[in-house]
Amino acid sequence: MKNVNKYGYFFIAPFWIIFLIFSIYPVALTFYYSFTNYTGSGVAEVVGLANYKRLFTDTYFVEAFFNTWKIWGINFILQIGLALILALIFSDMRMKLRGLAFFRSIFYLPNLITISSVALLFGILLDWQHGSLNMILLKIGLISEPINWLNEPTTAQLSVSLILTWMWFGHSFIVVMAGVSGISKDYYEAALIDGANRFQTFTKITLPLLKPILLYIMITSLIGGLQLFDLPMLITDGIGSPDGSLNTMVLYLYNQAFKYNNYGYASAVAYGLFVITLIFSAIVFKGMYGKERKQARQV
Amino acid sequence: MKKFLALFMTAVLLAGVLAGCSGGSESAGSKDKDKDVDLKVWSFTDELKKPITKFEEKNGIKVELTIVPIADYPTKLKPVLESGVGAPDVFTGEIAFLKQWVDAGYWENLSEDPYNADEIKDKYVPYVFDLGKDEDGNVRALSWQTTPGGVFYKRSIAKEVLGTDDPAEVGKMMGSMDGVFEVAEKMKEKGYSMFPDEGAIRWFAQGENPQPWVNDKNELQLTDEKIEFLDHAKTLRENSYTALAAEWSPSWFEGMDKPIKVKQDGKEKETQVFSYVLPTWGLHSVLKTNVKESAGDWAVTSGPSPYFWGGTWLGVYNKSENKELAYDFVKMMTQDDEFLTEWAKETGDVLAYNPVTNAIKDDFSSEFLGGQNNYEFFLEQAKEIEPGIVTKYDQQLDTFYGNAVQQYVDGKKSKKDAIKEFYQKAQNAYPDLKVPKN
Repeated sequence: MKNVNKYGYFFIAPFWIIFLIFSIYPVALTFYYSFTNYTGSGVAEVVGLANYKRLFTDTYFVEAFFNTWKIWGINFILQIGLALILALIFSDMRMKLRGLAFFRSIFYLPNLITISSVALLFGILLDWQHGSLNMILLKIGLISEPINWLNEPTTAQLSVSLILTWMWFGHSFIVVMAGVSGISKDYYEAALIDGANRFQTFTKITLPLLKPILLYIMITSLIGGLQLFDLPMLITDGIGSPDGSLNTMVLYLYNQAFKYNNYGYASAVAYGLFVITLIFSAIVFKGMYGKERKQARQV
Repeated sequence: MKKFLALFMTAVLLAGVLAGCSGGSESAGSKDKDKDVDLKVWSFTDELKKPITKFEEKNGIKVELTIVPIADYPTKLKPVLESGVGAPDVFTGEIAFLKQWVDAGYWENLSEDPYNADEIKDKYVPYVFDLGKDEDGNVRALSWQTTPGGVFYKRSIAKEVLGTDDPAEVGKMMGSMDGVFEVAEKMKEKGYSMFPDEGAIRWFAQGENPQPWVNDKNELQLTDEKIEFLDHAKTLRENSYTALAAEWSPSWFEGMDKPIKVKQDGKEKETQVFSYVLPTWGLHSVLKTNVKESAGDWAVTSGPSPYFWGGTWLGVYNKSENKELAYDFVKMMTQDDEFLTEWAKETGDVLAYNPVTNAIKDDFSSEFLGGQNNYEFFLEQAKEIEPGIVTKYDQQLDTFYGNAVQQYVDGKKSKKDAIKEFYQKAQNAYPDLKVPKN
């Protein structure tokens, strides 16, 4: 028996070796660096909790935290709302809409474009003096002065949120659609016979049964959103302009490490980010499932 | 059906594993190939391709050139240099991170035997040679080029507005910031824009008093001239002297050849840009590649103060196993009369190596610049450049200060607040700096 068991380890060994070298080791090393003043070269000197003390009083990090939430939050509400409405339209039994496969690919398409192309594209579209968006708005008379979209904190944040929505609603749509098609048609037929209207079928049948799917989207989007980095970095000057409004947590981390060479402090920022992600994931999870568990116990 | 699916999945997974294996053997193969390579060079442009081919032919060896885009170059190169695994024998450095690297000690000390680079000091443009030195004055990197800047302008507009298109005359008119504004006002009266954007004059921000951002006591210093620059930039904006075409944006390029539209104060007007503030390489890699119709209508002259922009240095990796050959390559790039003459004639690059520039500078004439000898002009400019003002903090601090200027010009922050924020950002990025409190 003992001999038989041993071979199992050989099979899982490749995964563990790679996991240890490429995941656990860097994570542990980062933890060590977060207690040092490592600058990327030379020797790392242990400075105790100094980096973490600085983290708690760092206004730029706090600013980055709120920026990240603002940008991600607006994007998430729009994205999930859009995905739900579209899923509703495409799954409606009475409408019998055709061409789902076609629209699914069209909606997903923005997600396939590399982020640098997206940033360049929108940089040109949103250009202050010569961008197409301002040209259109001026032509139809909605505005009289061109708006410098990427130079005002609020419009810059909104622009990034909307670009993210444009990129990701197709993905959410596909996942929601999969969830909707997993709901038995029997419920809808029964509701139809009972005389329920569209809104009632949506709130009483679709939404409750979609909860696990929505939770999944929310958690993955949250984790991705807290790591928001590439678009804010590429669309303006890479340090969060205008006025620090696009300074997200990971962008701040990147700049501290690779631009300012404060690797030690950047490691502390990374662990701060890790704790924040952990806390919010736990809150989302509790909020969605906590109630149900309590009810189950009571029954 | 289920069984078939399971079988199918297994087959797919297996194929994946096998593909992985074959990939592994392939990379092992390329490792063998590595052994045939005599010299490894890393750089951030394809500029070195031709010289390397020449070097290969000359010595009958094989050189491998790795090109990493500039944005990733420092982050990719640093770990390789730190660990020494897969490291290049020769690598280039751009001015933006040059100071950091000469002090980091990755480059071999060229002041020592057998290189003795100090002996050839007099053959170089002083500022170029000095920038390759580390804190202790040892030469770590050399460069073949010098990159002083000038102001490129359109002759036809100069003739119409200023009455002359002679570079010397126009240069005299723009000899100070006040002079620049006078010319700008004249341009505006005729419907032209002096510069594409406010950023164009940042190179003259030092004014008459060039000082490094950080002095040897580790103190951040913001000179009065640099503070005054805030007002200069604002003057440009408030008087509508520019075409509001941000540097490197599509309209910035468009403005070189034809009139562009500007919307300001609820009005739209079409304007032509008079001048672009660019260095030596701006002529070949920016203007020539984007200008069609107005080729030949350009000239270059000096602005209010001399400046330089960019530049590439190269040196030998100090843990290289092939230092002799590596230095041979550096030598060819920086000291080989025959090669450099050929290089300069082919690319128009302004060299830092006097023996060659002295021989060729007299019969240079650029068709694009209406027959002007830009080579001689730039060499004269190069002599006036102060090498001591470059620090390893420049790239970031310039960005921070550029942001402060932008905020002030846009009217979002007062001068005091903009400067205060600049100080805060500088302190945040470099906690060790001594930054003024207000």
